[in-house]
Amino acid sequence: MLVQAILVGIWAGIAGIDMFNGLTHVHRPIVTGAVIGLILGDLQTGLIVGGTLELVWAGMVPLAGAQPPNVVIGGVIGSAFAILTGVKPTVAVGIAVPFAVAVQGLITLLFTVFSPVAHTMDKKAEEADTKALDRMAWLEPIILFIGYFIIAFLPVYFGADKAQAFVQWVPQWILNGLQFAGGIMPAVGFAMLLKIMWKIEYAPFFAGGFIMAAYGQLPILAVAIIGASVAAYDFFKTGTPSAPETAAAAPSDSEEEDYSNGI
Amino acid sequence: MVSKKEETKVEATKSEGYTIPDTYKDPEVKKVINKKDLHKMVWRSLMLQSSFNYERMQGGGWAYSMTPALKKIHTNKEDLSNSLLDHLQFFNTHPFLVTFIQGVITAMEENKENRSTIRGIKVALMGPFGGIGDALFWLTLLPITAGIGASLSMQGNIAGPILFLALFNAVHFGLLFWLMNYGYNTGTKAIASMKENTKKISRAASIIGLTVVGALVATYVAFKFGVTIHAGKVKVPLQTGVIDKIMPQLLPLLYTFFCYWMLKKGRSPIALIGITIVVGLVGAFFNLLA
Repeated sequence: MLVQAILVGIWAGIAGIDMFNGLTHVHRPIVTGAVIGLILGDLQTGLIVGGTLELVWAGMVPLAGAQPPNVVIGGVIGSAFAILTGVKPTVAVGIAVPFAVAVQGLITLLFTVFSPVAHTMDKKAEEADTKALDRMAWLEPIILFIGYFIIAFLPVYFGADKAQAFVQWVPQWILNGLQFAGGIMPAVGFAMLLKIMWKIEYAPFFAGGFIMAAYGQLPILAVAIIGASVAAYDFFKTGTPSAPETAAAAPSDSEEEDYSNGI
Repeated sequence: MVSKKEETKVEATKSEGYTIPDTYKDPEVKKVINKKDLHKMVWRSLMLQSSFNYERMQGGGWAYSMTPALKKIHTNKEDLSNSLLDHLQFFNTHPFLVTFIQGVITAMEENKENRSTIRGIKVALMGPFGGIGDALFWLTLLPITAGIGASLSMQGNIAGPILFLALFNAVHFGLLFWLMNYGYNTGTKAIASMKENTKKISRAASIIGLTVVGALVATYVAFKFGVTIHAGKVKVPLQTGVIDKIMPQLLPLLYTFFCYWMLKKGRSPIALIGITIVVGLVGAFFNLLA
């Protein structure tokens, strides 16, 4: 069992990286099921479970900041348990989902604690040290690999019942809370963008974009096209490049803290 | 208070203690990017989310995938450093369409466009492409290819996963390479006519950019109350009954402005991420959020 558990762990690690980097989609349950089947010596069951789990996760895609239960761990643990214990694929889903939800919570945490690394990258960029930056790009994938390895290895090696007891020991509100936080989190990124781009003269355009999406339910592309039309109108109307209205609105002193320069 | 800005005056953008000048130490334009570089960048684009975090999202991976071109274009160390710093900032788009933006931005970097113009175009492109990508891939390509594969798999046919991977990646990699070349050529062509109008183009890009950011706030921030107010025998759900009546997506808007205000006050993004986690946990503990 040790060798098989290690192999399952390695596959989970590879799939875990592929979910964010590479995106060849070997991480989907349809592939994972077959691979786990090969590792555990029952390809046939692996294929069937993989296909079933694939359909379960078909609607659970990363849309609009939503964070579905982790598809990698769902696929790996679901397939492994269906094969090892002989339960039906639908039952295996039930076993896999708590793990998948917990792992998604952990990933929210990883993406949170990884923010300071961006500042180390800034320092390397200031020194124009591209070698160091290239190395740092592998930091998070390696962390993901190790994390996925452990989470997939343990339950296969020690058995689902023990692992599940541990997963259920984590209070539900913590998992929910991390999920809520993950949904709100894009606001921080958008605020960073505003900090770079915002000028009071552009406020109407921001408001317009918001209204079109919030009230009008227009998709981003439609809003972008309307924005582009307004920009084109403005572009051809403002005349000469050094149009006074553009210049006048710009702050005279770039060191003044209350203003940012826009983009 | 305000004075006329001359076209030649160096604008600088401050970002977290770094000042990125708008123009270059070495402004000479040289054509140095070839097909091989572009293809190298396609492979690197697979690492777009390698340094994903809530502060910069794909910023680190984006800089990583731009590095081969930037190194070749900016032989001046200071220019390279400023360009890298710029590209490490917040970035988020769809990983399958990113190569088009890479192509355009590479052409602009090669032509030594002002940093503010490059930044504007980058931001103006990333939002719409993110939206198209979601619809195209997560809601179309994946369900179709996975559906075909899963139907075979469930009959115990090994062709299921193989066919899925082949179909999916034919589209995936085909698009990545085609979009890179298309983006680079588009960028090169468009730039010729852009050169004399940089200031106006910056403004146009800002208008599109902020319109899109407004829409992004309304679309991509999920912040909803799940509480129901009991007033006597009347039950009013706080979100749909009160807040949505005032303004849909009011909470995402307010929270984004709160974050913006905190950033203006000099708070670090990390502090904001911490606050957001606390908001989520408190909301879950008291069953406030949905």
